[in-house]
Amino acid sequence: MSLTFERIEALAPDQASLTAARKLLKSSYWPTLAEGEGLAWGECQGSGATPYRVVINEANAGYKCTCPSRKFPCKHALALMWMRADRSAAFAPATVPDWVKDWLFRRRGTSNSPSKTDDEAKPKTRPSIRLTEIPAAGADVDPKAEQRAAATRERNRLEREAAVLAGLEDLDTWLSDQVQQGMANFIAQTAQVCRTIAQRLVDAKAPGLAGRLDGLPTRLFTLPGPARPSAAIRELGQVHLISQAYRRTSELPELLAADARQAVGWSVTREALLNDSERLRVNAKWRVFAVLSEAQPDRLRRVETWLWRQSGTDGMPQCAVLLDFIPISTGATVGGYLVGDQIDAELSFYRSTIPLRAQINTLKKGAEQSSEPLTLPDEPLSASYAKYEHALAQLPWLGTIPLSFRTASVRRNREQLYLCDDESGLSLPLHASQANQASPLASLDRIDGIGLWNGYEFTLAWAETQLGRWMRS
Amino acid sequence: MNPITLHTKVLPSLLGGTSRHPLPGDLIRPSSLSSDGALEMLTLMGQALRFERPSTPESFIVEPEIKDNRKIIADGLRRPLIRLLTTKNVTEHPGRALARVFDRLRLRPHPFDLPLIDGFIRSNAEKLGPTAQQWADRQKPDAETRSYFDPELLDESNWRQATLSRSVAYLEQRRRDDADAARALVESTWAQEEADARFRLLQVFQTRLSISDQPFLSRLEKDRAPRVRALAARFLARLGASSENPALGACLERIKQSQSGLLRKHTILKTELPANLKDQAASRWILQTFTDVSFGELAGAFKVTEKELIESASKDEPLLLALALIATNECRLDLLELVIANLPNAWERMFEAGLETLGTMTASERQRWEEIVVHPYRKDVPTAYSLWDWLHRITDSEAPSSVMSIALHAKLLTKVPEQERGGAPWVEMIAAICPASQRQELREQLTKFDQSQTITPLALLEILDGMENDRTHV
Repeated sequence: MSLTFERIEALAPDQASLTAARKLLKSSYWPTLAEGEGLAWGECQGSGATPYRVVINEANAGYKCTCPSRKFPCKHALALMWMRADRSAAFAPATVPDWVKDWLFRRRGTSNSPSKTDDEAKPKTRPSIRLTEIPAAGADVDPKAEQRAAATRERNRLEREAAVLAGLEDLDTWLSDQVQQGMANFIAQTAQVCRTIAQRLVDAKAPGLAGRLDGLPTRLFTLPGPARPSAAIRELGQVHLISQAYRRTSELPELLAADARQAVGWSVTREALLNDSERLRVNAKWRVFAVLSEAQPDRLRRVETWLWRQSGTDGMPQCAVLLDFIPISTGATVGGYLVGDQIDAELSFYRSTIPLRAQINTLKKGAEQSSEPLTLPDEPLSASYAKYEHALAQLPWLGTIPLSFRTASVRRNREQLYLCDDESGLSLPLHASQANQASPLASLDRIDGIGLWNGYEFTLAWAETQLGRWMRS
Repeated sequence: MNPITLHTKVLPSLLGGTSRHPLPGDLIRPSSLSSDGALEMLTLMGQALRFERPSTPESFIVEPEIKDNRKIIADGLRRPLIRLLTTKNVTEHPGRALARVFDRLRLRPHPFDLPLIDGFIRSNAEKLGPTAQQWADRQKPDAETRSYFDPELLDESNWRQATLSRSVAYLEQRRRDDADAARALVESTWAQEEADARFRLLQVFQTRLSISDQPFLSRLEKDRAPRVRALAARFLARLGASSENPALGACLERIKQSQSGLLRKHTILKTELPANLKDQAASRWILQTFTDVSFGELAGAFKVTEKELIESASKDEPLLLALALIATNECRLDLLELVIANLPNAWERMFEAGLETLGTMTASERQRWEEIVVHPYRKDVPTAYSLWDWLHRITDSEAPSSVMSIALHAKLLTKVPEQERGGAPWVEMIAAICPASQRQELREQLTKFDQSQTITPLALLEILDGMENDRTHV
């Protein structure tokens, strides 16, 4: 990944951090500046006697600083990145010191660290997620202790299953109450009633459904008033569908059952995913076409990095989304990637009927800004929409999904913008927050591009036009 | 069950509540004994709604046709430009400098960047071409907007299709060449103009004002805009068409005339300021009192020539200030130079007076005005930021080379009060007024400051250089 000022600016939690970092650009603040194996590190003299130790990984914009700042990245990390970006200071080649190695070791995730040989980088054959639930006995592991731990895990799992099922019974009762009182009434008190049932579902260890219901009032109130009651029917209908599917996972296809468990709140850890030998892996060049960031009620910021597959074989997922959760208090609003970045990586997809969510398995080449166009399929918006409908039939609680398009146009009706496919007459309303930024596109004849459709609104992410590239900011 | 049945029989019950509008019994068929039929209907209805395609509006707005012949700024300059203009706490100086260069080089921002630099566009729309102007006007009612064209060359048929500032500049030139033809042009569009445009077009009549303008000006005494009425009345007073200019009477009441000299008598004029006027308010009072009087009227009242009037006032600072303001108002730079020979601190005095505009002066006239005002200071240039800020605002042009040389040679940036030294207002203002030929010298002076203080001004200089030298504008 080449560090550029744009990237540093995007990573900075706020303008004040950037301003503070500027003041640390003098080399006199840095008694040590060194580089090696794709890393750069230094010691920055702060107000204390001991300098802060700062390290950055240029491959994926990773960073670590020993200062007590609650901002991430802190001004020291930003200043170090800045000095790397504008080559204003000399970094002495050196061997990686132990404290940097420690950080690398503790850090989750993979990188293109040159210290990793090709053999090491190759994903080893690992047992599937189901198999990993019964860990293989190691030579230096006490078998009895392992058995006891496995039994505890199994007991916990069964307890949680029981709690979830009990929570779903409560949910059914709650849903019946809402249906009896009607959606008009539900809209009037949605915030209060959703909060109550969400808390009960959290207690029932079904955080997925709890989050869905907790965020429902916000989703409804972003829609125009007349659309809310029917949207409430859609949303509550999905909740009931998930709860029914969860109860019948044994009757469902394996992938749909995995979707149902994931929607209820059973999560698969990154390690479990990477240990699953049956996981779907796609090795390709990926392009970041959208980065979405949203503050959640649980004080975490959810950052979605949407990727478009630029190369590789057909039949594999064309898109992927990487999810990161960052504490809101840090002020950070983006992950390590910027729109327009290209990475060469193998992604592992979570099991799903419509595989979208993924983790980076092996990063062969860090992110680089690229001016190449997206390799969009030669099909109109209506064709992409038909694919969406097909996907919806397969996964009825499908969430946001990318739609690509060619020769579409942006048009305006009052303050609302629409993405229109003139041939089929299909018009998707653009997200209300884009009324301003996408406005210049309304004067253009035709655009090609891609965006995200959530069933209500289309978030235009990327467009190739006769005036050049338009990207959501 | 088909979507129509769902919509007609199920949806009303779900919306109104099944306790008041029970679901039709014949439709409820629970899939199992333990299933709740009403919830299954909820799910079915929800999925049916999810498969409905979004409704298409009956019609879409036709976007206004914009003919913008300006080139779009080179791609490589877009990001730095956005970054500069969206920097927190950036002063207005970089925006002014950029807008001037956009206008001079007939460039325009990229249409996709307009939402990102909305504040800059709104403040400088007139200088950024018709696309930017349409963007700035987009929330105005249709009646207040106009067609958006920006012809390369203006003539009598298209002069009002251009931006207001270009139209005014064209009209100004036309007044100089043929005052009657210029007046006819204004008369032809007068009814369609809004108040601000009417005022600015009327200001042009200051150039070659003659008795033939009187019928038109007389009609403006009933204009809806008070400032247009007031300006027309001033012009009529100057023409002697109305009864005696009341403002002249007020001025003359405050000027004492006497004679001096043994062999050759000459007139001495002295102003008597109102007794209750505080010192700090004197300059403002002078501006208000003398604004509506012309040089010719004042000279005529004392039966002297314009130059003799200046000589007569040479010992009276308030009157010299009044004459400097009148000369500025009438764009009589020859007279201003004579006045300032006797009033070297005219810059500070005019600032105190609150002069807000240089009227219809052209860019070169503004630069000349600036030279006349600044030159008397030489090495002792003022170090008050407010004075330089005012100078940039009122001239809205880059500094003439001679003025910039004074600032650079005097090392103005290092002489300013310590707490302001290297502050954003100073460095950004100096970078904004610096002509292209002196940018390198300024860069060298900026290296003496902390790097964190010079990022914005250096970025501005870089962008300005790029705009002027880049050949990849499209």
